[in-house]
Amino acid sequence: MGPSLSIAGLEVRDPRGRVLLSVPALDVPSGALVGVEGPSGAGKSTLLFALAGLVAARGHVRWGAQDILALGSERRAAFRRETIGMIFQDFLLFEELSAADNAALSALFHPRKARAGLRARARENLTRLGLSGTGARNVTSFSGGERQRVAIARAMASNAPVLLADEPTASLDRAAADRLIDDLVTFVRRTGTTLIAVSHDPRLIARMDRVLRITDGTVSGDTTPNTAEGAQ
Amino acid sequence: MMAVWNALPALWQDIVVMLLLLAPSVVLGGVVLRGFAPWPLVRAILWRFRGASVLFVALIAISVGMGIGLLAQERGLRQGTAQAADKFDLVIAAPGSEITVMMASVFLQPSDMALLDGVTYNEIANAPNVAVAAPLAFGDSYGAAPVIGTTAAFASYLAEGHITGRMWATSSEALAGTLVPLDIGDSFTPAHGHGDGADAGAHGGAQLTITGRLAPTGTPWDRAILVPVETVWEVHGLANGHAPERGAQIGPPFDPAYFPGTPAVVVRSDALWANYALRSDFTRDRETMAFFPGAVLAQLYQVLGNIREIMSLLVLVTQMLVTAAVLLGLFILSRLFRRQIALLRALGAPARFVFAVVWSFGAALLLAGAVLGLGTGIGAASVLSRVVSARTDIVITAPLGWAELHFLAGFISVTLILSLVPAVMVLRQPVVPSLRS
Repeated sequence: MGPSLSIAGLEVRDPRGRVLLSVPALDVPSGALVGVEGPSGAGKSTLLFALAGLVAARGHVRWGAQDILALGSERRAAFRRETIGMIFQDFLLFEELSAADNAALSALFHPRKARAGLRARARENLTRLGLSGTGARNVTSFSGGERQRVAIARAMASNAPVLLADEPTASLDRAAADRLIDDLVTFVRRTGTTLIAVSHDPRLIARMDRVLRITDGTVSGDTTPNTAEGAQ
Repeated sequence: MMAVWNALPALWQDIVVMLLLLAPSVVLGGVVLRGFAPWPLVRAILWRFRGASVLFVALIAISVGMGIGLLAQERGLRQGTAQAADKFDLVIAAPGSEITVMMASVFLQPSDMALLDGVTYNEIANAPNVAVAAPLAFGDSYGAAPVIGTTAAFASYLAEGHITGRMWATSSEALAGTLVPLDIGDSFTPAHGHGDGADAGAHGGAQLTITGRLAPTGTPWDRAILVPVETVWEVHGLANGHAPERGAQIGPPFDPAYFPGTPAVVVRSDALWANYALRSDFTRDRETMAFFPGAVLAQLYQVLGNIREIMSLLVLVTQMLVTAAVLLGLFILSRLFRRQIALLRALGAPARFVFAVVWSFGAALLLAGAVLGLGTGIGAASVLSRVVSARTDIVITAPLGWAELHFLAGFISVTLILSLVPAVMVLRQPVVPSLRS
């Protein structure tokens, strides 16, 4: 089981002091699938970056017993390395590398003894995400959906129990997005991963256990979609 | 400590200096890369920016090559000229410019000079310990080859006795330097003067035949035709150094009454110390000057040494500018892959890993440029050597020396240290704006 999330008094301001995000309290149990929706500029991605400890913020963001905001820059990085995987709208792959090398990117900065295991897990993730046999191919030949799968395999190569996704289907056409949603949800449910996904995609949001709505930097809604999957 | 250092053989000193110069880059590389394997990413970035990377490597290679080429060439030139003067232990001439006399006698550069008379020549030739006292006579040419009058003893000494064919026996015979385009048995008529201004018909009656070819000497004398000094005097309508009843004699002794004069006498003595005694004896106000061409060259090197330092400084400044441009370029390039850098941070890569990637990218360009520059420098020095050799007939070889290797090692260490700067600057970029850009 991964860590649960507990937020208390989270506040992110811009350099001028304007409040970008304010979350007084929020709890997410381990293994939950949480969608974050809301208008553009409302603070959804800021929330995601705050959860990953990538922005300066006040308050507490506790993953299990660890308050990531209380850590220094390098310890936050170490925490992300072990605990949090991230995927982005435009995949951010290294175009010159193969799918396998992209998926096993974190092996480059993990200790030598962990590298073989990471590479094996990256290959396994690619297979689980329907990309078996494509590891040696350069990602420039991949479709958008395939690229995002490689990005997911990369995010999960270190067996992180938490996956933060920023608009994972926004760069995909409908059919590709639907296939990716299926694979992503299946993957995280099978591995027990906590998924927090910022998205404008109603079909992705509909597959979540819980949906947070962010408006003007605050959580204005916290609902549970009425789906059979979410009730399981 | 100094005693230990001085006790080391020169080769070991060079090796130690080389290792000391390389040590900072080795230590730096070890510290920066320890525990990481950034090469797949570095290769990916190099490939993505291959055009700019090739340009940077070429810039560095030209800059390094220029430095190495100049260093090697300068040393080669010094060694070549020193070797050319090797056979000229002592030169005695009328008072004037030592450099002018040296350029004329050693490097065969035409020049107007005052003459020594027969009495003086005989005094030189008969001085104790003088083994060879060769009068030189300039002024004629055949094509591009200067025709030099001298003695058989000096011609033989110059070629260390290695003459294909035979030594001249009469005043109508000559020896060809190894680069002269005449074969044994060929005849020619010397022209008066040199180059475009030479008068081919001035010595119309003279017909000289090549009887032998001198072994290569690596000096401008390889392109010269050597004739008995009597021949030069005769074709100019002068007495030939001997009384009429001995007019067919070739070589010393010469009769002072029939000695038309010589601009320089090349002297070789039996012992090294005797050279100093002779120099002292024949350094006389308004009569003669005696000098060691090697010493004059050393003085020239000293003057040129200052120029060399200025050139070295210019090369250094050029390299610093190129390095600064490359480092600035690295920083600009790193801005282009700042999203990937931010991604690495988002995935939990330690700052030191990101630092290692950016530094390794710069280091790869600098090392590739330095290695290519080494090749470029060797090539440039080789081409320059051939050009200078072809123009001066001084054999110049500019092989790679320790000075160039030290220069390269220093360049590598300094630039690898400097490339920490763009790596630090990249690391200071905020992650989230880069991810969102």
